[in-house]
Amino acid sequence: MREIALLVNGEPVSVEVDPREHLADVLRDRLGLTGTHKACEQGACGACTVHLDGTPVLSCLLFAVQADNRSVTTVEGVGTTEDLAPIQRALSERHGLQCGFCTPGMIMQALDVVGRANGGLTPERVRHEMSGNLCRCTGYVSIVDAVLDAAAESSSVAAVPDNEPTQAEVSG
Amino acid sequence: MIGERVTRKEDVRFLTGAGRYLADLRPAGLKHAAILRSPVAHARVNGIDTTAAKALPGVVAVFTAADLKEHSRPLSHRLAVPGIRPLEWYCLADEKVRYVGEPLAVVVAESRYVAEDALELIELDLDELDVVTDVRASLGDDGEESAPLLFEEWGDNVFYAGGFANGDFDAAVARADGVLRETIAHHRIVGLPLEGHGACGHFDRTRGELLLYSSNQQPHNLRTVVADVTALPLEKVRVIAPDMGGGFGNKQHFHREELLIAVVATLVPDPVTWSADRSESLTGSVQSRQQEHDVEVAYRSDGRVLGVRTHVIADLGSPTLYFSSIGPALITTSMLPGTYDIEAFEYRLTGVATNKPPMGAYRGFGQPQANFTIERVMDLVADATGVDPADVRRRNMVPDAPRPYFSATGNRYDTPSFHEQMEVLLDELDYPAVRRDQEEARREGRLVGVGLANLVECSTANLFGFCSQFGGYEMASVVVQPNGHVSINCGTKSQGQGHQTIYAQIAADVLTIPMSAIDVSDGDTALLPHGMGTWGSRSATAGGGVVLKGTRQIRDKMTAIAAHMLRVDGEEVELSEGTFSAGAGRVTFAEVAHAAYLQTFLLPPGMDPGLATIASLDPGLADPFPDATGRMNAGSTFSTAAAAAVVEIDAGTGQVVIRSFRIVHDCGTVINPLLLDGQIQGGFAQALGAVLLEEVVHDAQGQPLTSTLLDYLIPSFSDVPRVHTHHREHPSELLGGFRGAGEATTICGPSAIANAVHDALGPLGVRVLQTNLSSRSIREMIRSAGVKPDPFARALAS
Repeated sequence: MREIALLVNGEPVSVEVDPREHLADVLRDRLGLTGTHKACEQGACGACTVHLDGTPVLSCLLFAVQADNRSVTTVEGVGTTEDLAPIQRALSERHGLQCGFCTPGMIMQALDVVGRANGGLTPERVRHEMSGNLCRCTGYVSIVDAVLDAAAESSSVAAVPDNEPTQAEVSG
Repeated sequence: MIGERVTRKEDVRFLTGAGRYLADLRPAGLKHAAILRSPVAHARVNGIDTTAAKALPGVVAVFTAADLKEHSRPLSHRLAVPGIRPLEWYCLADEKVRYVGEPLAVVVAESRYVAEDALELIELDLDELDVVTDVRASLGDDGEESAPLLFEEWGDNVFYAGGFANGDFDAAVARADGVLRETIAHHRIVGLPLEGHGACGHFDRTRGELLLYSSNQQPHNLRTVVADVTALPLEKVRVIAPDMGGGFGNKQHFHREELLIAVVATLVPDPVTWSADRSESLTGSVQSRQQEHDVEVAYRSDGRVLGVRTHVIADLGSPTLYFSSIGPALITTSMLPGTYDIEAFEYRLTGVATNKPPMGAYRGFGQPQANFTIERVMDLVADATGVDPADVRRRNMVPDAPRPYFSATGNRYDTPSFHEQMEVLLDELDYPAVRRDQEEARREGRLVGVGLANLVECSTANLFGFCSQFGGYEMASVVVQPNGHVSINCGTKSQGQGHQTIYAQIAADVLTIPMSAIDVSDGDTALLPHGMGTWGSRSATAGGGVVLKGTRQIRDKMTAIAAHMLRVDGEEVELSEGTFSAGAGRVTFAEVAHAAYLQTFLLPPGMDPGLATIASLDPGLADPFPDATGRMNAGSTFSTAAAAAVVEIDAGTGQVVIRSFRIVHDCGTVINPLLLDGQIQGGFAQALGAVLLEEVVHDAQGQPLTSTLLDYLIPSFSDVPRVHTHHREHPSELLGGFRGAGEATTICGPSAIANAVHDALGPLGVRVLQTNLSSRSIREMIRSAGVKPDPFARALAS
């Protein structure tokens, strides 16, 4: 076991971890932050996305010791029941979540996409930049709409509406 | 509130990370289970040595089938239908394993890490047996030597054999201008809820009570099965289904693993939890859809289909699943006539065991296969006769009258006009313009196709027919609290559909109070005597219906109290915006609630205090048994749709691009258009995945080759275009006028896409006779049609 120091959602914590423990497990099992979900544990679905020093990472692929002395933000640090973040409000208004299992990872990735948007977000770019996060329920378009809404609210620049069917290239 | 686009009551907890899914539950002293699964597809189990695993520090207990036998009863499919093999099995495999991933042993440890370490220390002594993964080989139809037997005592690998005939197919052939004979292959996929299956059990020895949390769509029916397997009295078993990260039918069965956790919980002192990891859920859980349809179609030269005869061969994998692995295929055969008036309809159904995981439910429950085959048949007839596919459909459509219409297999369609629905679709699509665009594209050498599919969808079945127990009804408790707030608990179980919201909308309309004053819960057997859960497009109909019934009962009692308080007759009292009024007299909803509990002297003489009811509603109409001729109405009501896909295919890469997907849909009274659109769009993504991306692959030795999300591709952000949806509302005969809303695109989407692919590939002489339309499959189809795919041809030409 080894003690590591983390800044989790702005709060300093120190926690004893097994060096082989993944960050996702430490967040969930040792810190009780169960908003971060594990859906594949192979880095393929994005459900466990958290921010490490402000950048989205897959917490199922990181050892917790790699986060020593760094800052971690999880969905619990984004908004509250009384004061939802714009992306959280937009997801609800657009019905961009059904079972909610992928939602925390979607929120963490979307925050980064919106944060880097500089007003230049298009539906295609949202689809591209969110493509590491899988959802089995919604069929995605409502999440695209929500990210664009949140970006529009953040930048007060009107987003391009995604009214037409995307000429989605189907891969596989 | 019914009909309004209200956002969901459940959203805030999911958006803030406050959802409580199975793996989030942390009772004190929690231990973690990991399951050792068979590494081979077919073997005799000589022995399992757990000594080293038990000795590992942190391990609490290790169990094999032998350890559990005296503590549990066997599982069974329980189906008492003619033609089915009786079959029993245990939570853990005992004498044989029959698929890779079959549970063999379970470790309980301080952490999942330690539990998985211990799995590696278990020594298996297995005698490997020959493997059969293909249904034709399993039936011995492939000319090879006799197939290995999964269950030697059967003498073959046939789990179920049945058949049905309506009308005279041979006479239809005699009258026909032509007969088509094809085999249509439906490949194996998985439902893949993002949250895998899981269970957490705790046995209170002092009280003799078992509490089992399980990510299960039918908590009450699971309780019945748990009580049976653990031999505990039913009232001593409480099942709670917490928030669920999707289900899609995969979690409507009673899985070995959750029963295993129930049994194990009775044997260890602490709570035990297990969650399937992704590889377990991709390889060892239920899989779906795999069937082959040998189909014969007698048709006239004008496109009229005179008769259909089919042999449905369902690849059940190891049929060790309750409720039964044959269930979806029974619905396939029942729904195969679809929206078409086919009098001469015959089928044989053969359910075949193979060395693969059990076949189970996935959104649509056998209907995607039925729809795919009959909609393919319509287009193949169009090809054979030169009649336009839309005209072939017009000539075969179920006539507009009478209603109800009874299909060849006995389904009672209470539906609006299928003709009108398709014409609305064709108008909105501008079908002639799409055909003109297609002609132009073809002149440019581009492969563009349009595909149609009509849907009639069974909603709200009677579960008795699939389980030989349980019913088609639903229950809900409705309690008005003394402060006038309302608590509703329902026997359905939301997995993401938004039941908290839609039931609150229904209740708010009846009680005329704000949705914020109405709390809806589900999934706890301690709060309601029984319920049938959520599957088969039944929650809006049976669940919404019983909420409507229960809230009306409460409203009527409150109206009587209000009338007494206002000193008028009940008929004079009106309830609106949370106030009972008669003339100038007024009393609020909350005041009546207060009186009912705390000022009971205000109640009419003889009236019992309190405002609580447990309502039950059987929507009826769905048959629990087939009649003497084998006909059976599978649904209390039926939803309908007509869909069109336009696709373009790159002949070089085999890549299919969906240019547009349009659906005209009717699920009766719409409760919440926002949520309904979510069901349509989400169902479409699963339809697209089912034909273009997803495929469970087993090699000849039964080894799964698609065990991660890197091998098993589900649609991503860049794959799914926006569906153009038009909802029409023809209320059903059921209370509330609702019809099932969650499965339309999943069922008819694959058919429309495949028909479009077939249409696009027509100029190359390719005929689509399979559901698997991955790029690789399409390249193979093009190649086998004698065309050499050249990925560079178009690039060079442009």
